[in-house]
Amino acid sequence: MKTEEQLNFNDPKYYRNRELSWLDFNAHVLYEARDKSLPLFERLKFLSITASNLDEFFMIRVASLKDMVHAGYTKKDIAGLSPQEQLDRISVKTHEMIKLQYNTYNRSLVPLLSTNGLHVLASHEEMTDEQKEFADQYFQDFVYPVLTPMAVDSSRPFPLIRNKTLNICALLEKGKETDMATVQVPGVLPRIVTLSQDDNGTTVILLEELIKRNIQQLFMNYRVVSAYAYRIMRNADLTIEEDEAADLLKEIQKQLKKRQWGEVIRLEVDENMDKRLLKWLRRELHVREEDIYKIAGPLDLTVLMKMYGLEGFEHLKTPPFQPAPVPEMIEEGDIFSKIRKGDILLHHPYQTFDPVVDFVRESARDPQVLAIKQTLYRVSGNSPIIKALAEAAENGKQVSVLVELKARFDEENNIVWAKMLEKAGCHVIYGLVGLKTHSKITLVVRREEEGIRRYVHLGTGNYNDSTAKLYTDMGLLTCAQAIGEDATAVFNMLSGYSEPPSWKKLHLAPLWLRDTLVRLIRREAENARNKKPAHIIAKMNSLCDREIIAELYAASAAGVKIELIVRGICCLKTGIPGVSENITVRSIVGQFLEHSRIFYFENASAPKLFMGSADWMPRNLDKRVEIMFPVEDPKLKEEVIHILNVQLADTVKAHILSSDGVYERQDLRGKQRFISQEYFMQEAWQKVKPEDNPVKSRVFVPEMGVDDM
Amino acid sequence: MQLCIFFLRLFPVIDEKGIVQYVKLTTFAAIDIGAYEIALKIFELSSRNGIREIDFVRQSIELGVDTYGSGSLSFDTVRKLCRTLREFKSIMDGYQVEAYRACAKSALRETSNLLFILEQIRDRTGLEVEVLSNSEHRFLSYKSVAYQENDFVKIIEKPTAIVDVGEGSVQISLFDKECLVTTQNIRIGSMRIRELLSAFEDRAPNLGKLIEELVAGEFSAFRRLHLKDRETKNLILIGNFLPNMLRTASDEDTGYIARERLDSCFAKWREKSPEELVEIFSLPAENAMLILQSMILYQRIIQEMNPDNIWAPALFVCDGLAYDFAERAKVIKKSHNFENDILAAVKTIAKRYQCNKNHYQMVGQLAIQIFDGVRKVHGMDKRHRLLLQLAVMLHSCGYYISFLNSSECAYNIVMSTEVIGLSHMEREIVANTVRYNTEDFPSYEYFADRLEKEQYLIIAKLASILRLADALDSSHRQKCFAMKTAFRDGDTLALTLSSAEDMTLELGMAQSRKRFFEDVFGISVLLKYKKVVREK
Repeated sequence: MKTEEQLNFNDPKYYRNRELSWLDFNAHVLYEARDKSLPLFERLKFLSITASNLDEFFMIRVASLKDMVHAGYTKKDIAGLSPQEQLDRISVKTHEMIKLQYNTYNRSLVPLLSTNGLHVLASHEEMTDEQKEFADQYFQDFVYPVLTPMAVDSSRPFPLIRNKTLNICALLEKGKETDMATVQVPGVLPRIVTLSQDDNGTTVILLEELIKRNIQQLFMNYRVVSAYAYRIMRNADLTIEEDEAADLLKEIQKQLKKRQWGEVIRLEVDENMDKRLLKWLRRELHVREEDIYKIAGPLDLTVLMKMYGLEGFEHLKTPPFQPAPVPEMIEEGDIFSKIRKGDILLHHPYQTFDPVVDFVRESARDPQVLAIKQTLYRVSGNSPIIKALAEAAENGKQVSVLVELKARFDEENNIVWAKMLEKAGCHVIYGLVGLKTHSKITLVVRREEEGIRRYVHLGTGNYNDSTAKLYTDMGLLTCAQAIGEDATAVFNMLSGYSEPPSWKKLHLAPLWLRDTLVRLIRREAENARNKKPAHIIAKMNSLCDREIIAELYAASAAGVKIELIVRGICCLKTGIPGVSENITVRSIVGQFLEHSRIFYFENASAPKLFMGSADWMPRNLDKRVEIMFPVEDPKLKEEVIHILNVQLADTVKAHILSSDGVYERQDLRGKQRFISQEYFMQEAWQKVKPEDNPVKSRVFVPEMGVDDM
Repeated sequence: MQLCIFFLRLFPVIDEKGIVQYVKLTTFAAIDIGAYEIALKIFELSSRNGIREIDFVRQSIELGVDTYGSGSLSFDTVRKLCRTLREFKSIMDGYQVEAYRACAKSALRETSNLLFILEQIRDRTGLEVEVLSNSEHRFLSYKSVAYQENDFVKIIEKPTAIVDVGEGSVQISLFDKECLVTTQNIRIGSMRIRELLSAFEDRAPNLGKLIEELVAGEFSAFRRLHLKDRETKNLILIGNFLPNMLRTASDEDTGYIARERLDSCFAKWREKSPEELVEIFSLPAENAMLILQSMILYQRIIQEMNPDNIWAPALFVCDGLAYDFAERAKVIKKSHNFENDILAAVKTIAKRYQCNKNHYQMVGQLAIQIFDGVRKVHGMDKRHRLLLQLAVMLHSCGYYISFLNSSECAYNIVMSTEVIGLSHMEREIVANTVRYNTEDFPSYEYFADRLEKEQYLIIAKLASILRLADALDSSHRQKCFAMKTAFRDGDTLALTLSSAEDMTLELGMAQSRKRFFEDVFGISVLLKYKKVVREK
């Protein structure tokens, strides 16, 4: 006991830096791209994801760290690293990662693609004569008209190179003078150009190679010595990351003038680039040496997502999964009567998202429904939910929608349909000052014969029917009175009214959730000390809250068994003697993006089970409106525990965080190969009775006569 | 208030015996405009499930700061008020509410620009806001207490006091043998204290001491008059933040707490800052402004009342409005007879002014018989019958002050005595009935500034009955031991009085005083006397 008290669980040495941890996660995704057991095109997809992930990471996280360095902000992070120290380590790690990305691409994927009939030409010199002819014609017809070459000399300053665009720079000679020029690879044209399709397969080349081949045409008065691709990433994000302390914001405001707007934070160049060109770019773009990445292959690997989309290679992709129907939803009758029979658990994408859409849609049309209230964070482009909400308002229902405008990258999209909802007569709330509304909740108020009844959907994922096919999420449909009352209170609070006197079932961030979690973890620790069963299983996307981690350490030290399933960032370290020996962390990366948040607390053999929208991150617990809700129906509880256990049993896609801080794949000796996501896919269909699943059943069942009933 | 019986929906359910029963159901909204917040509650009232709260929305607007500070509401506050009420209206529409009551209390009642504000609200929101008199407001609180607790009847078996601490004032009501006997209003609410002291707060080093002195001073008269020999076992304490305080102080969330426990908690809390307190009680930060004043006030009141046990239910005027409505619409049954409270309270008042009990009991009996005798034509209801009983009990209280001006004194006594459960208008009716028992009844023009014609007629009817009944015991000797009434031909009321004694005086007086009754009702009164020998 004493040692437990003496240990300072807040000591930075017990924590991992979140950026480095995130890079480890990306390495895990990269591992999938290198997994030979996966269909080839799936590997392309994973590699592409690592690239787009890395881009986002630079734009948001690295940019933010750069801001701190410029502002002279030296406050150390959770792991005791200053911003500059973090940047240094990130630079080392990303250089390694990029090397591995291109190794994977050049050494395994490209040769394999070739054997499978997709020839990706690395340079224009590799083209056959026929192909060259086609390429030049294509260049003349489509590419040349949209190019804007820009030469740079004493009278023409260096042009503005736009963030994330692909460019080609060229070294020009005119007599004895040398000049530089740059031209943007047009984003309006497909980057992958199909050169030929025949018995040998399909041959493709990237657009920049076609431009390089014909670059002489752009600079008629010069001789083009050489031309290479490059790409920059700018610190153009004007918003300060919400995770950072408020004092940082002040600091930056003070330093506003010093901040270099649009500073280049990363320069990617062809590894063979002429030294003179590189020097020139470095000077003009003010890039530091460690921010230059020399690339052995095509820049911007997100193009591989386009390659994945090429037709004719379906046999090299995982066949698309058809979500199974939800058994409770199959029966006749309206959705409300089904919910009245008992709470319904939804497990996406194994089970279809349709019930959620139907819930809103039926509510819009049901004459007994008085009101629909919903929070919307990220919605798909042509969302059936938005349509249903608008329809509901037109049908005279009271519709309140909280639209979160601060959802990253989605702002514009959100504004468009928010306006549309307003036009239809919905009451639209545009987020709360200082808080992002991240909770996913829908409330339907219905006036039934026996009185008002409330139906609630609570989820772990956004109301987005497209991502619901790719993200694993949980949902709960219920008409439990206590949850209905709390849901009403949630929307009252979101509308700016005072908080309710008390909450019955729901736990809300930013005001109460943190305390609840601390209390739940402490109770396990207390139980462990009293030799009662104590066990925590928590599944989430990221874990980086210092207070929560310290509580987990304390619980582990008290003897609580803690099993964490954390997909992404995890600042917790495992296996520290006396601190985290009882904690295991696994990260699952698979066909679907793990997204659900599920929390299990043993509570001395009377388990408490929660699901919710919040990760255990400071921003989720302090700066967002989040909801954690209990699963109380004994049958559903069983089901959710089963889901957790299946994920804990995954031996292939779950990598275990070692005490050295790396994710290691499991040693399969003596173990079965078991992939949780595949299991869920099968199970979802097995749950559907055979008669509802004509695909699986070959026996036709004749309709029974009335007498037989 | 209009009764909205039409709005009740009925739906059939089949009970255990297989018989179809009709359940009454309605959606009701209650709006409470308080000194520091505006609250809306939506209720579902049904004869099967009773009262169910559906929604509860609160918006904090500090009307009290304006009213208790400057005496009127500022332009900005009124605009905020209207905006909030408009939002409330749209929430009500969302639930398709079938009836509502919107009530304001002292924070609005005491503003000088009240009528303008009410008109603006009507104009901008379509809501009719009633301004409750203090006694109406307190009665609603009291009603919701009575309905909330199943054991209410048991609690009040022991000597009990209800202390309702509002923002503007404190209402103290005392129970005696299950009936409410006294109720007094002391003008020291939490917000009023804050506004009162704000002027010299910075000069007082110890705010707590200052508040205690202020409260003790205001309480001293009440203590002398009403608490002299009383012991209070149970204290029902109603006030803001109290449920949170009790929840913090006790482990269970029942609202009950023993005296010592609360005392020790209060002692601990007194050392904290307002900011710490709201944290401790998990209240929203905006409440820090009032928390300390409220707490000291509660502590002081508990010391004054000196109870063994304290019960602090979470109470909102909105709940009272719903109970009141449900009861009137006959959706729920009464749990406690509030009319007995009113009768008991008035009895206590009659005793204080030394009214002759034998006389008013006699007169009461006769008056009720007359009232019932013409019930087919009088157009009045049970409530008016109660008012008549009250007027009878108090009809001679004016003599306590002066024999010359007794009727006017009686009027003033009634008007300045608070009876919980009586609205201001009802009090006016009782007071005028008493007054015009003896004074000549003036024409309507005289009352036009205070009364509607409808109420004028009620007063006339009640006063005429009282006059007749009073005359029949002119000698104050209760000679008549039985009276029979017979209503004939739609225009004649025959009263047959049985007595062993000579009733010439009574009959003579009645003969001259029945004229008013005849004028009012258009019914001629036939007086008969039957001499009987009383069996011993």
